Amino acid sequence: MNSAKIFLAAFLVNNIILMRFIGLCPFFGVSTAVSTSIGMSAAVLFVMLLASWVSYVLYHALLLPLGLVFLRTAVFILVIAALVQFVEMFLKKYVKNLYSAMGIYLPLITTNCAILAVTFFNINYKFNLLQATLFALGTAAGFALAIILFAAIRERLEDAPISPAFKGYPIAFIGAALVSLAFMGFTALFGIS
Amino acid sequence: MNNGPKPSRLSYLTSGIVKENPTLILMIGLCPTLATTVTARDGLGMALAASFVLVCSNVVVSAIRKIVPDSVRIPIFIIIISTFVTIIDYVMQAYQPDLYRVLGVFVPLIVVNCIILGRAEAFAYHHGIIDSFLDGLGKSIGFALVLFIMGTLREFFGSGTFFGKAVLPAAYRAQPMLFAIFPPGAFFLIGLLKALVNKTALGKRSQ
Amino acid sequence: MKESKLWLVLSLFITCLLSAFALSQIYNMTLPQIEYQRNVAGLKAAFGAVMPDADRFEPATPDSSVWFAYSGEKRVGSIIKTAQQGYGGLVPVTAGIDLEGKIIAIKVASASEGLKETPGLGLKATEPDFRNQFAGKNVFQLRLKKDGGTIDAITGATITSRAVTDGLREAVEKYYDLLVPTPGVENE
Repeated sequence: MNSAKIFLAAFLVNNIILMRFIGLCPFFGVSTAVSTSIGMSAAVLFVMLLASWVSYVLYHALLLPLGLVFLRTAVFILVIAALVQFVEMFLKKYVKNLYSAMGIYLPLITTNCAILAVTFFNINYKFNLLQATLFALGTAAGFALAIILFAAIRERLEDAPISPAFKGYPIAFIGAALVSLAFMGFTALFGIS
Repeated sequence: MNNGPKPSRLSYLTSGIVKENPTLILMIGLCPTLATTVTARDGLGMALAASFVLVCSNVVVSAIRKIVPDSVRIPIFIIIISTFVTIIDYVMQAYQPDLYRVLGVFVPLIVVNCIILGRAEAFAYHHGIIDSFLDGLGKSIGFALVLFIMGTLREFFGSGTFFGKAVLPAAYRAQPMLFAIFPPGAFFLIGLLKALVNKTALGKRSQ
Repeated sequence: MKESKLWLVLSLFITCLLSAFALSQIYNMTLPQIEYQRNVAGLKAAFGAVMPDADRFEPATPDSSVWFAYSGEKRVGSIIKTAQQGYGGLVPVTAGIDLEGKIIAIKVASASEGLKETPGLGLKATEPDFRNQFAGKNVFQLRLKKDGGTIDAITGATITSRAVTDGLREAVEKYYDLLVPTPGVENE
C-alpha cells in the first residue's frame, strides 16, 4: 500500500472515530468546546506517535523473536500507560505552560481506545516502521478533524432550542450520526475502501 | 454518595442493570456498544467477553485490595485486566473463531473499556469479594442488555433477521434499511435510546 | 508496610510474573485448537465455493486429490482436485461432487494462482459462463460437444476446454468408488 493511501485511508475513509467507533469516550467528553478539542488532539497526536514507535520496536525486537506474542495486549497497554506518565512528568517539569494547557487530558489518554487500537493495527496490517508512522499520523489527524468539527457543532447546539429529552448526549449522538454520514461519502475515495 | 443505610447486597447486583446502567446512564463503554452491534449475536458475544473480564478482574482486585500498595495500584489493575483480556482473546480464537473474526480489534480493546478499569478503581478496590462479584455481574448484565437491544434493532432494521434467522418478509430483506448497519445508524440509534432514557425519571436524575 | 519501597517494586514484579505465567499456560493450551481452526478455515476457503453445504473436509486419498465433505457428521459429497495438461501448462481444477457422482460446481485456478493459459481464450475457463455448464453433469456427459458430450468448448480454446473437461472426467472415473458410496457399505 503506498504511503499516501495509508495516510488518507486512516484520515478520512476509515476515520477512527466516525467510521471505526474507536475513541468515543474522549470524543463525547472533550468535544464540548473547540479549544479543549484542539488540546486533546495535540496530546493524542503526540502519544499516538510515541506509542506506535515504542510498541512496534518492542513487538518486533522482543516479543516476536522470543515467542511471547501472547503478552502483546499487556505490554502495549502498559507502554501507553507508562508513556503517558512520563510525558506528564516531563511536561510538568520542563514545558510548564504546555502542561497546564494539556495537563488534564493526559491521564485520560491512557484509556483512549484509539491509541491502543493503532498499536494493534500496526501489527495486524503488517506495516513497516514508516508505514506505521504514516498510519498513526493519519489516525491522529482523523481524530483531530472529527473532534474539532464536532466541537464546533456542539458549541452551536448549546444555544439551540432542543427538547429536554434530547439535550446533552442524545442530540450529540444524532449530530455524530450526521457527521458520520458525511464521512461515509469518503468511502472508495481514491480507490481505497 | 448517599448517607443512608448501607446498600443491600442485592442492590449491588440490580443497580448495574438499570439505575447505574454503564452505557445509558454512566455513559461509559460506548465504543463496543456502537461497533459490535451490527447483529444481535455479535453484540451478545462482545458483552459476554467483556463480562468475563469485568467479573474476574473485580473479584481479583477485591481479593488483593489489602496488600496492593496505593501508588502502584493502577498499573497492577491494568496487568490484571489485560491478563483476563488475553485469556478470553485466545479462548475465543480457539473455540469461536467466527465471532473473533467479527469482533476483531475490539476483543483486545476490552482492556481499555472504561467500565472495567472504572469499576476496579471505584468499587472493587474498596469492597469485599462477594460485593465486587455482584457489582461486576450487575454492570455486566446492564451492559449486555444495551448491546442486545442495539444489536437486535440494528439487525432487525438493517437485515431483517434476528440471530441470522429471517424475521421480515423477503421483499424487505432485499432492500433493507442499510442505514442501521452503517456507522451513522449506530450513532442515531444510541441517541434515540439515550433520549428515551432521559425521558424517564432515571434519566432526569442523572442529567 | 503496605507502602514500603520494596513492596512497591515486589508487588509489581510478582503481578507481572503471575500474569506472564498464566498467559503462557493459556497460550499453550489453546494453540492446538487455534491451529485446527485455521486449517478448517483454510479448507473452507479452498473448497467452499464448490461445496457450499459442507463445513468439514477430510482427505480421502494419500495424495489429497480426493476429499470427503461433511456437514456435521453427515457426509454430503466429495471434492476432487485434478490438473491436466492444457495449452501453456497444467490446468488445476477443483470440483465438488455429490454422492451420486454428479458435479455440483467447479473452480479453475486463476492466473494469479498459476494458470498459464492464453488470456482472452484459455483463461476464460475461469469465468462463470464456462464453469456453470458443469453443474449437474454426470461422468458420462463430461465430454466436449465435439467429442460427443454436452460441454461447449470456449471458442478458440479447445485445448484448454478439453483439459478441464477430460481431466475432470478421468478423475471422476478413477475415483468413482470413493465418490459414490455403495448403499449399505460404510465409506469411512
